Amino acid sequence: MDKNDKNKVNRKNDELSRRQFLIASGTSVAGSVVISGATTGLLAQTPSADKYPKAKGHIEHDNKLCSGCLSCMIACSLAHEGNPSMSLSRVAISRYVFDDYPQDILGYTCQQCDEPKCVEKCPTGACRIDTNNGNVRTVDAKKCIGCQTCFKSCSFTPRRLAWNSTDKKSVKCDLCADAPNNSKPGTQACVNNCPQKALTFVS
Amino acid sequence: MASPGFAGKILKVDLTTKKIESIDSAKYEEFGGGYGTAIALFWDLCVAPGGWDLQDAFDPRNIVSIMNGPLTGAGIPFAGRTSVSGLSPQGWPINWFTKSNFGGDFSPMLKFAGWDGVVVRGKSSKPVYINIIDDKVTIEDASKLWGLDTWETQKEIVKLQLGQNKSDWRAVGKEYTLRKPAIVCTSQAGEKLSRIASLQHGGGAAAGLGGFGGVFGSKNLKAIAVVGTGSFKVANPKALMETRDWLTEPVAGFGGARGGAPKAKPAGIGAPQPKNSCVGCTRACRTRAGADTPGRDSDGCMETTWYNVHPPEPKTKPADEAKATDLPQKYGLNSFDTCFGGVMWFDAPTEALKPATPEAPGAGWYIKRLYDAGIIGPGKKVDTAPLPMDKYDSYEFAEIFAKTIANREGIGDLLAEGVVRFAEKIGRIDDLNTILRCPSWGYTDHWAMPEVSWAYGDLVDSRDICNHDLQMPLMSGGRGDAEAWVKQVVKAIVPYNDDPFILDSSWKDEQAYKTGIYSEHKAKLVAWRMHYQAFYKESCLFCDWGYASYTNRNGKGTPDAEPRIYNAITGKNISFADGIEIGRKAWTLRRAIVVMQGRNKKNEKFAGYMYRPGASASGFTNNLPVYDGTNWKWQNCVDLYFDDKGVETWKTHYYKLEGWDQETGYPTRATLESLGLKRVADILQKNKKLGSV
Repeated sequence: MDKNDKNKVNRKNDELSRRQFLIASGTSVAGSVVISGATTGLLAQTPSADKYPKAKGHIEHDNKLCSGCLSCMIACSLAHEGNPSMSLSRVAISRYVFDDYPQDILGYTCQQCDEPKCVEKCPTGACRIDTNNGNVRTVDAKKCIGCQTCFKSCSFTPRRLAWNSTDKKSVKCDLCADAPNNSKPGTQACVNNCPQKALTFVS
Repeated sequence: MASPGFAGKILKVDLTTKKIESIDSAKYEEFGGGYGTAIALFWDLCVAPGGWDLQDAFDPRNIVSIMNGPLTGAGIPFAGRTSVSGLSPQGWPINWFTKSNFGGDFSPMLKFAGWDGVVVRGKSSKPVYINIIDDKVTIEDASKLWGLDTWETQKEIVKLQLGQNKSDWRAVGKEYTLRKPAIVCTSQAGEKLSRIASLQHGGGAAAGLGGFGGVFGSKNLKAIAVVGTGSFKVANPKALMETRDWLTEPVAGFGGARGGAPKAKPAGIGAPQPKNSCVGCTRACRTRAGADTPGRDSDGCMETTWYNVHPPEPKTKPADEAKATDLPQKYGLNSFDTCFGGVMWFDAPTEALKPATPEAPGAGWYIKRLYDAGIIGPGKKVDTAPLPMDKYDSYEFAEIFAKTIANREGIGDLLAEGVVRFAEKIGRIDDLNTILRCPSWGYTDHWAMPEVSWAYGDLVDSRDICNHDLQMPLMSGGRGDAEAWVKQVVKAIVPYNDDPFILDSSWKDEQAYKTGIYSEHKAKLVAWRMHYQAFYKESCLFCDWGYASYTNRNGKGTPDAEPRIYNAITGKNISFADGIEIGRKAWTLRRAIVVMQGRNKKNEKFAGYMYRPGASASGFTNNLPVYDGTNWKWQNCVDLYFDDKGVETWKTHYYKLEGWDQETGYPTRATLESLGLKRVADILQKNKKLGSV
């Protein structure tokens, strides 16, 4: 499959379509127990809340060092998507020069939570733990139905997941586990491209 | 379909008819994007239709083009600027077509919104601002913004658009964004048609020269705001990322194009400040400010030395200087035209580098000279009210000065015309022969002398070219072997890299005509600088702080870096020399525009002081390589001044090299047609402005 098509998945191959999910959610009458009981097979991939191997690390942003150059966002989207894009970057920097230092530049990175709510709440198992890549919390595009449950579940505000509006799927930081254009595989494009060392990989 | 590096369309807004259209960028790609494309747009929209004398920048038929370039938004250091162009009200005596540019966030945001530029013509019947959210473009009421300074304007627009949600994701169509709108705007100065009103973006990114803030004001246009959530294609993303790695890798002896910003938090005036950056850049030359720290989003350029008075006046206090940095930014004034003591007056490392007199004195300096001489003052024919001249060395004066000009009050009404028109209006235009150091076209001196290619560039362009790149390697002037320095630097100047005499600053006797400042060799250097500027600096939008890089740090500078970067993004596989040719095409078309406005060999002359001893007294990088007919040596050229016959000889060489008529300076049909510009030749001919072979 062409790397540019990797997110374009044939809906017929989805294990659970978005339509089916919405119907199932709409017919449940009482909390999550009823949903999981009534829809065995549809939601069977939901992992247990206390079985999350820790991620090998996460990216930290220091807004005192950051210069707001957005090199990280451009590098992230280039590495993953092949084109520069503010919307498809998995790291987000917000800048407003009229706020006072250090609140004039704010950065938001996925914390690769020990108890990832996005993984816990994802109805299809698309948000998952990639045990082949340092237990990074990632989104399997093939399984994502674009329900945005992960958005609402994220423990942080602003949420640390982004939205692919073309494919209608969530994307998130995978520590460059699947970043086909990353010039330094095995490392993180955002960290490599930060000129101020404001982004660091923390084990 | 957009080519890699381009969004694919240019937004065109007519404020008279309220028509909003899009222009296919592909039609103009041959001119390079950015400024090159804007030159062609100006020709097609303003010159070709005819019926206009192209004299008045405030005419609704003038367009102001705000453009990004093919490198914008691709994460390349020193490539985050925004181009501005159109007829310039600051140009004197004619409002020449000219350009400016500014840093920050605007041009990348515009590209992510899906636009390669925005072109505005016409005039709104009431104050408006243009709001761009991806492909949704509206003309909004700006009545509540009218009268605000540039900072207040931007804060107000952000408040209008974001409400209380300043820090969480916002839905924008089918996308989400955390980013605030990027805004470029004018102040009260522009609203009141000041000829020296800047366009301001953020705290301190400004298109300072040209008076484009006044052009906005003439259209009743207060601001353009943009939010972009999209993306654009690059030809080879892996090669692009590898190119960035290559650029930022340290090189022995030079470091790399990486940051090194001070890490200190704002600690008050005089302390190092943490740094801010244009998009994609590693240099981080802008400042982040605390509540009590001035210099918000300032890049340590002219505005930081704006209120910088020095002997024979009592020296300004550093605290007042620092605080005054924000005045030209907020009040949207060109800091060069209004400055108090010259460009970046600082303690030079050696006596040889130290200017003998204030550099580029602007109106702040000039009015004090006139006041001390009793020529202007309270109650006099030229009344200095409301300026408190007895408080000249205080921050209070600087603030009143800025407000007075922005609001056109009292003497501010004259000063808002620019310092040269001010002199003209008070009957002192002859000061251009002596103390009023404005080399050409109504712009204050910068570093035009004694390295004369800057001065010549000012002359054949339409403004202070503000290209510092050749001054950077000259800062080592006097150290090392002059011939070795020349041989190193000339390697960058492709296709003239086989001619070391292009760097000869011989200015006396026959040597000046053989190899020095009046020779065909110097014509080559200036032609190269103008073509390089037109394509690489103003169309690709490589920042002047990084390019051209003459010392070519182990292959990471000129002429290697630019095509590598450009090709990774666009896939066009050009050579460096190809880029120079694209620049020559845009530059020649730009020549046709100013010729239509009235430019010719006869009026292309410097101000009188440039032909007299002392012309280089406020020069910078005075130690220059000079060839005496046998050997190269470093020579202090602080005494250099022009000879009229020499300059006329140089012009003849220059016009010949450019393929322009040597008698008139008009482009010839042969030159234009060889560049695919037959339609331009036809119009010049119809207007009796076509050069003969």
